[in-house]
Amino acid sequence: MSDVYVLGVGMTRFGKHPDRDATDLGAEAALEAIRDAGIEPRQIEGAYCGHVFQGMAMGQRVLAHIGLAGIPLTNVENVCSSGAVSIREAALSIRAGEHDVVLALGVEHLTSRFQGALTPDPDDVEATVGLTMPGIYAMRATRYFEDYGVTRRQLALIPVKNKANAARNPMAQFQEAVTVEQVLGARPIAEPLGKLDCSPVTDGGAAAILCSAAAARRLNGRGVRLAASSLRTGTVDPEPVSMTFEPLTNAAARDAYERAGVGPGDVSLAEVHDCFSIAEALRVEGCELFPRGGYLHAVERGEASLGGRLPVNPSGGLLGKGHPLGATGVAQVVEIVRQLRGEAGDRQIEGAKVGLAHCRGGKAAGVEGAACTVQILVR
Amino acid sequence: MTTAGEPAPAAGVAALLTGSRCPACGAAFFPPRQVCSRCLGKLEEAPLSARGTVYTHTVVHQSAPAFETPYTLVYVDLPEGVRVLGQLAGEARIGMEVELEPDEQLGFRFRPVGEGS
Repeated sequence: MSDVYVLGVGMTRFGKHPDRDATDLGAEAALEAIRDAGIEPRQIEGAYCGHVFQGMAMGQRVLAHIGLAGIPLTNVENVCSSGAVSIREAALSIRAGEHDVVLALGVEHLTSRFQGALTPDPDDVEATVGLTMPGIYAMRATRYFEDYGVTRRQLALIPVKNKANAARNPMAQFQEAVTVEQVLGARPIAEPLGKLDCSPVTDGGAAAILCSAAAARRLNGRGVRLAASSLRTGTVDPEPVSMTFEPLTNAAARDAYERAGVGPGDVSLAEVHDCFSIAEALRVEGCELFPRGGYLHAVERGEASLGGRLPVNPSGGLLGKGHPLGATGVAQVVEIVRQLRGEAGDRQIEGAKVGLAHCRGGKAAGVEGAACTVQILVR
Repeated sequence: MTTAGEPAPAAGVAALLTGSRCPACGAAFFPPRQVCSRCLGKLEEAPLSARGTVYTHTVVHQSAPAFETPYTLVYVDLPEGVRVLGQLAGEARIGMEVELEPDEQLGFRFRPVGEGS
């Protein structure tokens, strides 16, 4: 089986794009990734497209737009991990020897599909009594404070950090830093979480060109190795489990570390699924990057900031960069590739060698979470 | 937490909620399902206790249009070993005892034990 390399990446500015659609955003990202890889579109042999709410044949619409219609394409829906799974599927097709050069795409035009709080599927028994996605994470925050003796004020440091990072990322939805007082004073969404603890409604596209080791040498010689691309789905637990530790995240992370041959101590930066402020703590602890219940203290000490021991969400994360569902997992890989190549501008992490991307999403009653990916990239 | 399969609810009180119980291994589930995720045995319907303990909570201020905000949500651990989400009439805190009551719009909700009748 061939190693898999990321040869080129591209993304649109994340934000609200009322005058554009998902096809247009996907095409822009794909063309940038193709240019960045230094290849011709006709060298792409297959494609995968992650999205959640864009309807039928999303990927085909993008391919038709950029002169690539005809090649094999699979659309991927795996809730907020959809884009990450499109990368995983592209990597698998290369490992299987089916393709040498593949396009992995993620797109979402969420502003035309949704406003306000996302909710689980309306038929879900928990949705029928009023569960919202912010509500789930708010309840996890309530319990996290209780279990670990930390405070609302400490939690506010996560949006403060991520929005400060976003202000250094020209592709991010938010370009301004916020203060702890602004986070605490924002409109309540689901207590203790306020508006600045929640990722925004975002439109955007992101793309990556993946290829085999042979193709990487032949084509541009500067590919970043995708050392692991692990996927797990939520288990059904016959007993209630802790809502402040994520076995699903942990299972995906352990699989990824084993496949990549690296450990949590080797990771130079992490892009994790901070759909809500508290989620970042649960993700990094689930990935064993920080001790259980210890993350907010680490953030307080600056360990997760740019310049810290292990910067988390240098791109701004979902809280700062934005969260166009299907594009999110691909955009995490875009950031890591740019960091590992030393092309991350004002937010460059010096000497970055190993990047970890974590995505997870979805909710169904009785299941811990729907889908979780952990990917590890190595320079 | 008591073991799965403890008889519930008290005699003469109709259960508001029905879950599933595995006759083979004793695992309990809510919402009801067909197959035991632990041993793959076929599940039976099982009434659930009316009382439990708040595991965690929130007050929701932004929701789907069908729901009037704000409202309190609680995850409640029942003695059968299942965790049920519902709205709570009143203020929540972790560890408080609550009980089920019928609700016209939602089917059921919780209230603090010792309030109302």
